[in-house]
Amino acid sequence: MLMGDKNHINIECIECCGKNLYIGTNDCFIYHFMLDEKVSTSGKVTFAATKQLHKYLGFKKPVNELKAASALTRLLVLCDNTITLVNMMNLEPVPTGARIKGAVTFTLNENPVSGDPFCVEVCIISVKRRTIQMFMVFEDRVQIVKEVVTPEQPCAVAVDGYYLCLALTTQYIILNYNTGISQDLFPYCSEEKRPIVKRIGRQEFLLAGPGGLGMFATVDGISQRAPVHWSENVIGAALCFPYVVALDEEFITVHSMLDQQQKQTLPFKEGHILQDFEGKVIVATNKGVYILVPLPLEKQIQDLLASHRVEEALVLAKGARRNIPKEKFQVMYKRILQQAGFIQFAQLQFLEAKELFRSGQLDVRELISLYPFLLPTSSSFIRSHPPLHEYADLNQLTQGDQEKMIKCKRFLMSYLNEVRSTEVANGYKEDIDTALLKLYAEANHESLLDLLVSENFCLLTDSAAWLEKHKKYFALGLLYHYNGQDAAALQLWVQIVDGDIEDSTRSDLYEYVVDFLTFCSDRDLVWKYSEWVLQKNEEVGVQIFTKRPSEEQEKNINPDDIISCLNKYPKARIKYLEHLVLERKIEKEKYHTHLAALYLEAILQLKSGTTDNCVETVELLLKLRSLLQKSDLYRIHFILDKIRGTDLHMESAILYGKLEEHEKALHILVHELKDFGAAEEYCVWNSENRDLQYRRRLFHMLLSVYLRADTSDCALVMAAVDLLNNHAAEFDAALVLQLVPDSWSVQLLSPFLSGAVRQSIHTKRMTQVALGLAQAENLIYKYEKVKHKGTPILLSDKKVCQVCQNPFCEPAFVRYPNGGMVHTHCAASRHLNSSVTPHSSRSSSET
Amino acid sequence: MKKPDGKVVLLGDMNVGKTSLLHRYMERRFQDTVSTVGGAFYLKQWGPYNISIWDTAGREQFHGLGSMYCRGAAAVILTYDVNSLQSLVELEDRFLALTDSASADCIFAIVGNKVDLSDDCASPPDEHRPEKAAAGCSSKVRKQVRVEDAIALYKKILKYKMLDEKDVPAAEKMCFETSAKTGYKVDYLFETVFDMVVPIIVRQKAEGPPQTVDITDYKPAKRTKSGCCA
Ligand SMILES: Nc1nc2c(ncn2[C@@H]2O[C@H](COP(=O)(O)OP(=O)(O)OP(=O)(O)O)[C@@H](O)[C@H]2O)c(=O)[nH]1
Ligand SMILES: [Mg+2]
Repeated sequence: MLMGDKNHINIECIECCGKNLYIGTNDCFIYHFMLDEKVSTSGKVTFAATKQLHKYLGFKKPVNELKAASALTRLLVLCDNTITLVNMMNLEPVPTGARIKGAVTFTLNENPVSGDPFCVEVCIISVKRRTIQMFMVFEDRVQIVKEVVTPEQPCAVAVDGYYLCLALTTQYIILNYNTGISQDLFPYCSEEKRPIVKRIGRQEFLLAGPGGLGMFATVDGISQRAPVHWSENVIGAALCFPYVVALDEEFITVHSMLDQQQKQTLPFKEGHILQDFEGKVIVATNKGVYILVPLPLEKQIQDLLASHRVEEALVLAKGARRNIPKEKFQVMYKRILQQAGFIQFAQLQFLEAKELFRSGQLDVRELISLYPFLLPTSSSFIRSHPPLHEYADLNQLTQGDQEKMIKCKRFLMSYLNEVRSTEVANGYKEDIDTALLKLYAEANHESLLDLLVSENFCLLTDSAAWLEKHKKYFALGLLYHYNGQDAAALQLWVQIVDGDIEDSTRSDLYEYVVDFLTFCSDRDLVWKYSEWVLQKNEEVGVQIFTKRPSEEQEKNINPDDIISCLNKYPKARIKYLEHLVLERKIEKEKYHTHLAALYLEAILQLKSGTTDNCVETVELLLKLRSLLQKSDLYRIHFILDKIRGTDLHMESAILYGKLEEHEKALHILVHELKDFGAAEEYCVWNSENRDLQYRRRLFHMLLSVYLRADTSDCALVMAAVDLLNNHAAEFDAALVLQLVPDSWSVQLLSPFLSGAVRQSIHTKRMTQVALGLAQAENLIYKYEKVKHKGTPILLSDKKVCQVCQNPFCEPAFVRYPNGGMVHTHCAASRHLNSSVTPHSSRSSSET
Repeated sequence: MKKPDGKVVLLGDMNVGKTSLLHRYMERRFQDTVSTVGGAFYLKQWGPYNISIWDTAGREQFHGLGSMYCRGAAAVILTYDVNSLQSLVELEDRFLALTDSASADCIFAIVGNKVDLSDDCASPPDEHRPEKAAAGCSSKVRKQVRVEDAIALYKKILKYKMLDEKDVPAAEKMCFETSAKTGYKVDYLFETVFDMVVPIIVRQKAEGPPQTVDITDYKPAKRTKSGCCA
């Protein structure tokens, strides 16, 4: 546009500031264009340039450099070693003619130190050898600030604050122009290859290094990023965060500063200028100016994700953090993490996927929705738009590979299980738990039951249908139960036990149902299934009544109803009565009598039967005896009537014993049963908790029974002798001697007699000892009494109470044996507080 | 980007296996490498600290960059190839001077890599001629550099740095022989070095960054953009 066909005119330098584009040519002209940015609907950005002005500077020299200072509306123009200030709009030189002379090249300090907004800081390489000068440039004047002499001739410079980054003839250095301290960076032969010094941010520069490297260096002289690798003959470099753009004779290359990788290469010939202006990268040949537009960051990231370059996409996104407003960044970054998660997921990299989903706070339903049929039909979920991934569903993702499918499902199971109790699940717990239930059911996973018996949010209709489809009837029952539909649950389980439907989850389902009913508080249900349960197994089934938690029992079911219900099931009935009498210890005559009668009935029935159920009979007998002995509540006569005429002698003896008819009882034991051992035991347990007299009376009675026999039965005599000899202590020897027949020899009874004599002597001596001790104690008390009477105690108003330290104002006082005197009320309260002085309570005396 | 708390630099002639060592340690793998261009770095979390590990290029062309990479380093790992005496010589001749810019309390480790290539039989003291190597043990070559040579170098370094042997870790402790290929002693090397670097980091943090450039009177001005339009 500038030169038409004038071939000798070349672009020498450019400057772009806002919409203003300035171009300096080799024939000493400056051109001013306005750039118009247009964004097409497809997002493509185009620029249209309109020429505003051009201006001839009046030399035969090229325009070397242009820099805009927009705050001053000035354009700084370097031509013929002089920097002039011209108006940015009309390109007229400032009237004062302010200028900087003797500049080879110059640069602006983008991190100025003066703090004056209407001043720009300019650094020049002077025509004077080895000299750098700093200027302050105002609207219409310039002022030199500093001149620094460098160790070698400088050929390129960049500034940040007080720091100059200089390319000298043989090396790069950092020089603080304020302190003069310098720091070598690295050697570089500026004569062989043109050096590049470019400020890329606060206190950091980019330098052309050996071997086509783009080296990063901070003002401290260290490198914080690995170098980027350009070609050997790089001409210029520009920054377009987070990229470094470089130009050589054939290409424009783009490297990321984040991972140093080369990201893009554009063929571009004859370029000789590459610069960035406020985010715009401009490249120019001798004849043309091109603006490079970076794709929006999000688009770049999306492209990377689309080509599954997850790592790079994340690095780019993270690197962009400080260039995007926080809110916006977070939304964007989360989305990227989620997308990256799905890419990893599709590659079955589940660990990575999980981490990305977690950090991206993925709505779990996005993942669930990939799996067909998992989301409940009622779920309001719709996938986010634009989609996070390219897959319709798991079938498409795995392309029908069953093994992959199973892996994916396994992953979802563990993932859902992990997140369901975290805050990620808030708001859609139903969806998560229902999906989890479906996965478990389908995979026949044992956790299905755990899920259903613990707190869960599985949706009933959806889950029920699914469980039914997968024949998980037991689990279905649990689901019903969890949803308060115990009737439905029981119905299913009963069907399973009865074999109407098949589900082998539990082999002990019957017991499970019994247990369930035991703890079921719905008494209609308990009644409804009690018949079924008892029919299956009376003894186990009766647990629904016997094992019920006691608070339930009391308020809900009347024992009498249960007993009448159990009439058909004798074993169960006995168990239930045992439960009432023995476990719950209900003290009601009717239960005790009933139980005893039932035992008796059962025993008699067993005895009348032909088969000898010895073990069972004995067991029942023991139970009956124990009941008869221990309980005092049953109707003794009623039982006695029933027992009369049977051979249950022991039992009748017990009953007589209960009636205190010990003679009768002992008679039965001795004469009917001829069980002397039992007779002795009888004496023992009937006199338990009674005094010695009572016991002696019983033993004596037994002895009489033995001896009174008309028939001089040898066995009875022996029993009598043994009784005496073995239980000498239980007898009153004097009474015994009256009873014993004269014909018995002393020898026969010698153990009894010697025991009795010893006992008698022992008693006598013990009594004497007790007497002696009592006399001694009495003497001590007498002594003390005399002693206390002996010394008078004086009470005056000068004495104070040892407790409250107040004087005594009444004659009554308390004196402790140790001599201390206190008020009566103080003593009383002191006793109350129980902080009593030793032995005071017993021997305190009052005067 | 996380700011590293301390820096460890690998120096040594090209082809001795610096990149391979680092790769083995960080990625737990040994794979073919290309000769490093310029330099590369990794970040390693070590306890509460981020340690940056710089892999430098051994090629002569990039030699000039070494000094900048070493600036402020808390540790320098000088690497040679046990099968190349020259690579050990180069450490003294060419690389030692680069460490002048390292932190004053920088620690040094000397690492002979590629021990997998040579047999383990101690070579007679003055036999460094490779043509005889095949005689002893099958396909393996005879080691050209012995640990004692490395220890001698370590002592020279101390002299060069004017350090007292009493004040620094013992030579025997700081001379390693490794194989990036088999992984032999690679973790041990880096972990030993990192453990020694931690106290240096702590000290550097306490004293503020070691500045060779004086910035005491530099006050960052408010960022007023010089060329701001719109
Ligand atoms: N057998 C064996 N070969 C190794 C070992 N370490 C490195 N190599 C090989 O030696 C060659 C050079 O390894 P690099 O790690 O690239 O060497 P470098 O020191 O980084 O070289 P520059 O980057 O040029 O400085 C490669 O071919 C490696 O495979 C080792 O322990 N044993
Ligand atoms: Mg390398």
